[in-house]
Amino acid sequence: MIRLIGKNIAYRPVRNGALFVCFAFIAASIFLGHVLMAGATGSIHQELSRLGADLVVVPAQYTSESEDVLLRGEPSTFFFDRSVLDEVSNVSGVAQAAPQSYFGTNPDNHDSPLVQIIAFDPDRDFTITPWLSEHQQKPLGHGEVILGSGLAGDIGSTNYYYGQPYVVAGRLEPTGTGVDYSVFIREDDARMMAHLSEFYAEEMFALPDNDISVVLVKVQDPSQAALVAERITEQVPGVKVLTPQSLVSTVATQLDATVKLLDLAALVAILVSLPLIAIISLMAANERMREIGILRALGATKKRIFSLILGESLVLALAGGITGVLASLGGLLLSEQYIASSLGIPLALPATGELATLALTTIIVTTAIGVAAAVIPALHAARTEPYLAMRSGEL
Amino acid sequence: MIEVSGLVKTYPAGRKEFRLFDGLSFSSEKGEFVLITGRSGSGKTTLLNILGGLTRPTAGSVKINGREINQMDDDESSAFRSKTIGFVFQFPGLLSALSALENVTLPQSLAGHPANADAARALLDRVGLSGKEDASPAYLSGGELKRVAIARALVNQPALILADEPTADLDVETEREIMELFAGIHAAGTTIVMVTHNPDLAAYASRVLRMERGGLTEKTP
Repeated sequence: MIRLIGKNIAYRPVRNGALFVCFAFIAASIFLGHVLMAGATGSIHQELSRLGADLVVVPAQYTSESEDVLLRGEPSTFFFDRSVLDEVSNVSGVAQAAPQSYFGTNPDNHDSPLVQIIAFDPDRDFTITPWLSEHQQKPLGHGEVILGSGLAGDIGSTNYYYGQPYVVAGRLEPTGTGVDYSVFIREDDARMMAHLSEFYAEEMFALPDNDISVVLVKVQDPSQAALVAERITEQVPGVKVLTPQSLVSTVATQLDATVKLLDLAALVAILVSLPLIAIISLMAANERMREIGILRALGATKKRIFSLILGESLVLALAGGITGVLASLGGLLLSEQYIASSLGIPLALPATGELATLALTTIIVTTAIGVAAAVIPALHAARTEPYLAMRSGEL
Repeated sequence: MIEVSGLVKTYPAGRKEFRLFDGLSFSSEKGEFVLITGRSGSGKTTLLNILGGLTRPTAGSVKINGREINQMDDDESSAFRSKTIGFVFQFPGLLSALSALENVTLPQSLAGHPANADAARALLDRVGLSGKEDASPAYLSGGELKRVAIARALVNQPALILADEPTADLDVETEREIMELFAGIHAAGTTIVMVTHNPDLAAYASRVLRMERGGLTEKTP
């Protein structure tokens, strides 16, 4: 029976090839939509967990740039006055406040891509230092940097920024966000780098003494984070407070249209393909009615005919499903960054286990669609009297 | 071997009913070569299909080897067909996706037996198709297709062969070769019921019946 299914599929390459492509398209639409959704959501959660802050205070006029740095890793430079740090620290409900300074810069030469340098104050920091401690590493020393996963440099090796050597003390895991393309450095080292760039670098790196880019805030009671954010906005002029919710909401808004589009594509693919596959299968069964009559005359039961038609559709749907999943996965792996930047979302592919579950679910759904579409043609073929089946096409 | 009694077969014809057989009866002994002749539309092929369980009569009894085939369920009648009856159709009736050899072994698989390629090769050799085992039906001549169909009909060693106009559309020489094959099968003890509109084939049969006006009349071979 399995051999006959294989022979029948191979004998009609054009029609079965079209069905195969149809199933592959359905599988790719379903799989891509869900992987992008899972990838973007997972990425945001990783980013927020890495950030370790309940609130991020940014210059109001640079809100969009701040979100770009945090979510998409688009290097950017923006500042507000350091006095904001003290003002934020004094707001009721704030437990800790730590400054960070962001520089979107080209530290080597004009041809290399921009990197985001993030300078932090080790004395007040509560995001990078705990991470180092968690990974059994000593606090970041002078002349040391921590690299995001997307940047080159092994631990212990030396990278040069503005002509100055810095030892790579650590590397962060991939997050699919801006963190992956950031260089973390002590604030005093960053100021020294700026000072020395005047003598050693082709282009000078300016870092105003009294400016910082953002203030990361840890609140005393996380359930009151929204209230504290409101207080900061009221009491500190010229700032905007980004909350994890607002960041998720920003991404969700950006992703919403894409996810809806992918869902719609999958739905349309299923709605259009299901009757199409059913009609093609019915036409194929009718076209092969004489062959089915012969099989019945030679001893094939109705059940066997039913299984034969259903089996052919199942094999095509299964093969199409697997191919669609593998092709879309390959496409995602090859163009992950391009897709993320095109859609304007952070994107990290889900973990292998989650990816395998999504792939398996997609293949099962696609195969079920193939089997469902073939039920009526298979019943029709099995129920037709052998004599009438053999006379099919004569009249 | 074959006992048909009170066979009625009707077809709807608009609001009326067309009665093809109205109480047809006949019987055949084991090992006979029965040739049924008659004009087109007389019901020869329908009778053959009723004997093979491929269509059900409106009323009447059809017994093959003592078993009432019209009271069998689908599983039983399919198993009975695959083990007891071999069919040779007017049209080639081969599966295009399979080779000549695979077409011959197909009834073995459908009967639930492992495909015996050696037996199938021997049958193809017997019908004069040695060396064409792997050929696709698309590349075989009309006579060769008929020979493959005869080999396929014999592969499960059935007690009864039902042949529907097996020499239609064949030239005289090929017709003679095919009929010689049937004569050999008959000589080996297999019962054959063949329908044809060609009265010249009567020479090969042990018994000739003519179908007219829904009934069968005996003729001397």
